[in-house]
Amino acid sequence: MNKHINLLLLATENILRHKTKTVVVCLCIVAILSPFITAIAISEGIREQSLISVGESADLYLTYDEFGRNAAVPLKYLDEIKKIFGVTKAIPRIIGRGYLQNKLAVIVGIRREDIPPSVSCISGRVFEHAHEVIVGYELANHFQLHPGDQFSMRGQQRKTFTVTGLFSADSSIWGASMILMSFQDAGELFGKQDVATDIQIYTLPGHNSAIAADLYDIFQNEPYRIQDKQMIETYFKKGFMLKEGIFTALYTIAFALGIPAILVASGFGLSERRREIGIMKATGWNTLEVLELISFEQIFISLLGAVTAIVLSILWVKLFHGAFIAQFFVAEMPMLPKFTLPSRFLPLPCLLSFFFAFLLTMVGSIYSSWRASVEPPVISMK
Amino acid sequence: MIRTENLGKYYTSHSHHEVHAVRDVTITISKNSFVILKGPSGSGKTTLLNIIGTLDRPTEGRVRMCGEDITSFSDIALSRLRREKIGFIFQDFHLIPYLATWENVSYPLVPLGIDIRKRFERAKTLLEKVGLGDRLDHTPEELSGGQQQRVAIARALINNPEILIADEPTSNIDEETGEHIVEILTEQKSHGATILVATHDTRFERVADVIFRLKDGKLE
Repeated sequence: MNKHINLLLLATENILRHKTKTVVVCLCIVAILSPFITAIAISEGIREQSLISVGESADLYLTYDEFGRNAAVPLKYLDEIKKIFGVTKAIPRIIGRGYLQNKLAVIVGIRREDIPPSVSCISGRVFEHAHEVIVGYELANHFQLHPGDQFSMRGQQRKTFTVTGLFSADSSIWGASMILMSFQDAGELFGKQDVATDIQIYTLPGHNSAIAADLYDIFQNEPYRIQDKQMIETYFKKGFMLKEGIFTALYTIAFALGIPAILVASGFGLSERRREIGIMKATGWNTLEVLELISFEQIFISLLGAVTAIVLSILWVKLFHGAFIAQFFVAEMPMLPKFTLPSRFLPLPCLLSFFFAFLLTMVGSIYSSWRASVEPPVISMK
Repeated sequence: MIRTENLGKYYTSHSHHEVHAVRDVTITISKNSFVILKGPSGSGKTTLLNIIGTLDRPTEGRVRMCGEDITSFSDIALSRLRREKIGFIFQDFHLIPYLATWENVSYPLVPLGIDIRKRFERAKTLLEKVGLGDRLDHTPEELSGGQQQRVAIARALINNPEILIADEPTSNIDEETGEHIVEILTEQKSHGATILVATHDTRFERVADVIFRLKDGKLE
């Protein structure tokens, strides 16, 4: 046991003695791992928040179907839907997109009493009257909007809206560029009256099938479409898998280019190391002891590199809002986001990062060290 | 104690010529004897020492140590032999440049599981013995050639070896240090060690029990 402790301590000393090499290898590890850890954390954070949102939202989503796409559903059926046994709430919404000057915003028209509890005003109040809106923090910050200010959407200059409050972006990333207004105002803005883009239907547990049958009776031959929570969840997951796939493909190319750099860096001072191994062997060390020392050194460097990469990734997400990387996962996200993205640093990617760093540094050093230690010492010492 | 039987070591040079560094060398070295290998440069002294010291393997022939054929030993068995029985003093010292003097001396003790305090004490005792008690924390580059050679001697003695092999131990150092090294090796012999030295230095002749002369890789 004392032998292993001695080797462990010697490995630590060697790491500290060869500062330049340690720093260079760590920097290579950080350069390779940090974007990966950051991307995984953002992806996991958004996925979690999305699934929570889905979990807390309606049980069924009702829309029309036109050309295989979701289309607006007429409100004339709303009262009938509310009367179906098992339906506890039916909320019509209008969701659309529009430009505020040059910036794309998500516009949500909803009745005041149906605003989700997760939307909380950080200043001002929720809209009460016609042409009043509340604005997501990022959008408000971008245009320096404050409660009491007025604005018009691009191409709709005759309709003026008054900001009554700002809501927190932290409640959801989707809320960051959102404008929330009354259902009627949204209908006027998009020029569509008596329709909703969807109707959220909340149901009693176990009633979805019966409700679907009742909806069939109501809509008869109308082209309607019902999606339940599980379907929405599946869409989200598929969407993320696609985005992660694109990121992974791009990252793999960058990573493949980075591997030679780390191999070169971890092989720094190879001839000096080879000579040192020769001296060790000449003075009684055996091959296993030499390799154990080298492995301990690589474990320390990998740990140092992986921990630094994780810390930098946390800073990247928390302080720099996932700059340059967030746009892979969130549509319309600028290169330098102005709000904190949801993130989750799970143990598995962090652990994998360490093993990956260890593997890379070992590849760069273990074979050459093994070769040097199985040769006759007189050859290694040359 | 040590016997070489028809020992040969051949190399293929860069120009694809076979070089016979050692040819058909058969010698016997008794326990607790002081043996000198003499011969001109390129006569094969260092090669013979390296093979006897298990730092290199012969192309042909055998080396027996205490009756055992060590040429058939595995890598791990040879390491154990070096650790337990052999101390080697190199002509060009072979010290690790970034380690302090005491660390260089005690380096062979690291894999033995001896704690750092005991390693330091043993290294200090040996360095004081070779007259470097005040240079414990110096790195090799802060020492003269003679001092570096004495550090290498202290390292070779750290395991109390039964066999001490020295390759031109006085070739790169001053007269006074050379005399000191002769004294140290003689003292080791008086403690029971077998000493094998390759040297041109005539000072060793007065303490030697046996002198072998090599020429063109062959025993004269």
